Amino acid sequence: MIHLVDVSKKFPPATEALKSANIHIEPGEFVSIVGQSGSGKTTIVRLLIAELPPDNGQVVIGGWDITNIKKRNIPSLRRQIGVVFQDFKLLPKKTVFENVAFALQVAGATKNRIQTVVPQVLSIVDLQDKLIRYPHELSGGEKQRVAIARALIHRPKVLLADEPTGNLDALNTKDIIDLLLKINEFGTTVVMVTHNKEIVNSLKRRVITLDNGMVVQDQKVGKYVI
Amino acid sequence: MLLLTLNRSIIFALQSFWRNIWLSLATVFVIFLTLISINLLLVVNVISDSAIAAVKDRIDVSVYFKPEVRESKIAEVKSHLEGLPQVKSITYRSPEDNLEAFKVKHSGDVKIQETLKELSTNPMSATLIIKAKDLAGYPEILKAIDDPSFAELIEEKNYDDNQLVISRINTIADTVRRAAYFVIGIFAFISILIIFNTVRVAIFTHQNEIGIMKLVGASNWFIRSPFVLESVIAGIVAVFITIVFFYPLLSVLQPYVSGFFAGATFDLIGYFNNYFVYIFGTELIAITAVNIISSSVAIGKYLNV
Repeated sequence: MIHLVDVSKKFPPATEALKSANIHIEPGEFVSIVGQSGSGKTTIVRLLIAELPPDNGQVVIGGWDITNIKKRNIPSLRRQIGVVFQDFKLLPKKTVFENVAFALQVAGATKNRIQTVVPQVLSIVDLQDKLIRYPHELSGGEKQRVAIARALIHRPKVLLADEPTGNLDALNTKDIIDLLLKINEFGTTVVMVTHNKEIVNSLKRRVITLDNGMVVQDQKVGKYVI
Repeated sequence: MLLLTLNRSIIFALQSFWRNIWLSLATVFVIFLTLISINLLLVVNVISDSAIAAVKDRIDVSVYFKPEVRESKIAEVKSHLEGLPQVKSITYRSPEDNLEAFKVKHSGDVKIQETLKELSTNPMSATLIIKAKDLAGYPEILKAIDDPSFAELIEEKNYDDNQLVISRINTIADTVRRAAYFVIGIFAFISILIIFNTVRVAIFTHQNEIGIMKLVGASNWFIRSPFVLESVIAGIVAVFITIVFFYPLLSVLQPYVSGFFAGATFDLIGYFNNYFVYIFGTELIAITAVNIISSSVAIGKYLNV
């Protein structure tokens, strides 16, 4: 599903974010990528959504080699990957319904399809009663659930979650992790970037540990070791 | 698909215009102030043009013939002068007409009236009143009158006085016109910069949104078009408000202008009515173009996500 082969990425003037990283993730896996700040976790997410090109190596996602992806193909790629961020990245002047619908509208979905699918997905994340709320009227956990609903709207095969609980309290953190596990149970590959030790240890799933831009550990049932 | 995208872009643009109403109003207000200023400059230009035209219209050259010159000879001169391209019209006034006009002009002066009664013959001679198409044409006309073959027929011509007036009016008219174009040009340039910057600032506040749209998979066109359309909407609203505000302002100005230039007609509202499509149409097109360019450039900066 996801293959990073000998991928390196440098940022000027001399920061090596990734050094010949090799990561292979199979369909249906739930993988946590952990490491300290600056270890290269977020760089991996940015490479996978083609926000950055690699300096060396190959990046493949869902069978699509995006190493040298053309700019005009990036929107199409992003419509096939669900992404959730720590800061939610919701459109502040759009309602819950409109935020989720926007992801369908950019893909040219019809009004009928939007009216059918958006409420369905919002009910999965338990927000069916808050369709006309604006982001500033929601709690942190609710905002993240809207972001997850938006990420799921295209039924992606891969869901990338970059520090999805970074801005949440313990209760909301648990809800979001449970939701990600539920999504994974339906067959979606989930890649979660985090530095939350307790979550990683409680999941008992695959853990890839990064340090200083290198993959230093890859355990099938891992723990947060750094 | 294209129609669906266009339809959505229009809806998003209208939604964004309404939901960011204060930002939208600020943009509209700046454009409105710019348009009002440009239109007021236009009013000044119209008034000065009309004033100059009114004065120009009163300028003519009168040629007084010697009393013994026969009417047929005067007709010959008239016909010759009419052949000049600079001449707009020539009016012939017979000695009788001139006498009558003189009597009317001095009807209150008893001495003049008595003197005229004592005269057995008409002391007035025939006159040709020549108007040029343009002030610049008078020197050529005066040169033609100075022709030696006419000189012996002519007793007097008033061109000396008029020449000074003509040259002064020409200088004033040219200076006013040049100054008006210069001021309008400078103002239009400053206005473009202000509008350009206003639209850029408005879009700067949306930079996070633009980044989010890119991450959700929106194409550049899908992101760009609502913002461009929103700035176009701001321009249309501003032009509409300008029209609604400007006509009452003209009604207020009209009496003062008419009073100041007593005698001359300055129909400001009539002028703007006659050139309504030309003036406001041009302003709408110009504002739309500036808004499209500025919003496109401003968004472009934030699209590389």
